[in-house]
Amino acid sequence: MSRSDQAFETLHYNDDGDIATVRLERSRINVRQLGELERVCAHLEDESKASLVIFRGASQGIDFADFDPKAGLDIHGFNKWEKLLRRIEQLEKVTCFFAEGDLVGGGFQLMLTCDVRSARAGATFRLPEVQMGFLPGMATWRLARYIGVGHARRLILRGDSVGTEEAMRLGLIDDVREDLDHADLRAHYRPATAVASALARRLLLESGETQYEDALGNLLAAQFRAISQSAFLENLKK
Amino acid sequence: MFDAQPRLLAIGTANPPERVRQEDLLERFRVEDPRIRSLFTSSHIKTRHLYLPEPGPNGAPQESQGQLLAKHKWGAMQIGPEAVEACLSQVGLTVRDIDHLVCITTTGFLAPGLTALLMKKMGFREDCSRADIVGMGCNAGLNGLNLTTAWAKANPGKNALMVCIEVCSAVYVFDNTMRTAIVNSLFGDGAAAVLVRAHPNDDQGAPVPHVLGFNSHLIPSAVDAMRYDWDDEAGKFSFFLDRDIPYVVGANAPRPVARLLAQHGLKKRHIAHWIVHSGGKKVVDAIKYNLGLTDYDVRHTHSILRDYGNLSSGSFLFSYQRLMREGKVRRGDFGIMMTMGPGSTIETALIRWS
Repeated sequence: MSRSDQAFETLHYNDDGDIATVRLERSRINVRQLGELERVCAHLEDESKASLVIFRGASQGIDFADFDPKAGLDIHGFNKWEKLLRRIEQLEKVTCFFAEGDLVGGGFQLMLTCDVRSARAGATFRLPEVQMGFLPGMATWRLARYIGVGHARRLILRGDSVGTEEAMRLGLIDDVREDLDHADLRAHYRPATAVASALARRLLLESGETQYEDALGNLLAAQFRAISQSAFLENLKK
Repeated sequence: MFDAQPRLLAIGTANPPERVRQEDLLERFRVEDPRIRSLFTSSHIKTRHLYLPEPGPNGAPQESQGQLLAKHKWGAMQIGPEAVEACLSQVGLTVRDIDHLVCITTTGFLAPGLTALLMKKMGFREDCSRADIVGMGCNAGLNGLNLTTAWAKANPGKNALMVCIEVCSAVYVFDNTMRTAIVNSLFGDGAAAVLVRAHPNDDQGAPVPHVLGFNSHLIPSAVDAMRYDWDDEAGKFSFFLDRDIPYVVGANAPRPVARLLAQHGLKKRHIAHWIVHSGGKKVVDAIKYNLGLTDYDVRHTHSILRDYGNLSSGSFLFSYQRLMREGKVRRGDFGIMMTMGPGSTIETALIRWS
């Protein structure tokens, strides 16, 4: 099941059949990295048996060196980026981000799509886009849902840098640790309950935008799928 | 040959002139049972087009089976021709240009069938071949499209016309039970006609879809879950919907879709447009959560349900029409059509715009 043979330039990808790890190896996000993350998503969607995906590393955000300032920036590139983030957010696997250093702009945006968020001591989080004259993508939407519009205003409008202690207080990250504990992650996110966990993730994602009646209809549809799974029926027998 | 694949060249729809809100029906037929009232008012459906009977002395209409069958016939001969006209006028054709006619209905049995009645009423050529598909329910539009496209492929350049005509108000039974109230609150009247032709010279103008293939899925264990059968007590045919069937259909939906995608070497993410039968809120929710579709993917399914109710076999063609009018489809886009109905069954078709 191991998959680390693919030629990637901007990241390192390894899938041991249980946990897939994507290590960001470029300090800034460029068109190439975006394309490679799309290829990783295709593998995770079509072939990978892993139940957990770990993104790790640090990122300084979009690399404008890739763009010709005279030609101006093309909005479709931004759309492509948002599509990638949504795709990661909707993967039928639990996603984890481990911040090993500073997450600026796009790197921070990527972390916000993940279910589990951890950081190494000293990591910082910052959205400098508005200070630079553009927008931090759908972080305006995601960040407000995590930490409330009040805090999101400060982080987005001022571009304040947030350390791990404040990030934990705001709920941006779950904990601060030297490294991820794979055994612990495995124990909490078992493949047997992958369908239930994927459905719960989807219902959580939709929680802010659905009326109660519609949400209840969605829950019942999802619940029927969950209780029809052999894994759930096996659990009942135990 | 890809370029001689059958294509959906035009679509036309029609409904009875009377458009009613759910609340209007409760008032008109003086429904007082709070459970039935809440079934109507809490529905995802807001309006429907119906051939409504006059209220009886106690409010509930008293139509005999004979009157219901007669309504099916004259109703079909109003909305059927309107849908055909709307379809053919878009491509500058008349009924004289049609070489093969397929009519689909479940809401009334009659012989000669709707094809013969439609040909007489509208003046089709006497040598137009025809087939009637009767009693297959909400999924029948794709069973019909499978045959229609096969005919078109075998007869390149010839025009095949498929017409779904459902007068659901001709299957209403008012007996104050939840069983019939569910049906009465859900189904609406409507007809949809689609022109199919396989011709390499059709590759011009706005994008229209090729029909690339079909995949079916029968759930024999749920054979009784949706049925239209005789009710001795009411002295009428009556439609029955099992309360679990939306979830069972949803749980089975990934199978035909997976087979259809695999047959064409595609993944789910390659599908840009989903044209799903507006069966009811629960079944659409179940399909969403089993196929991983978003509300955006099923926006037309929802809006057709809201505006027209469940139009049985023609519903998915109403959604298809909204998708085409929206103007977002691009050449090269793939779409999946999906209908569900008695059997219980799920029918799917893969289409691609070019």
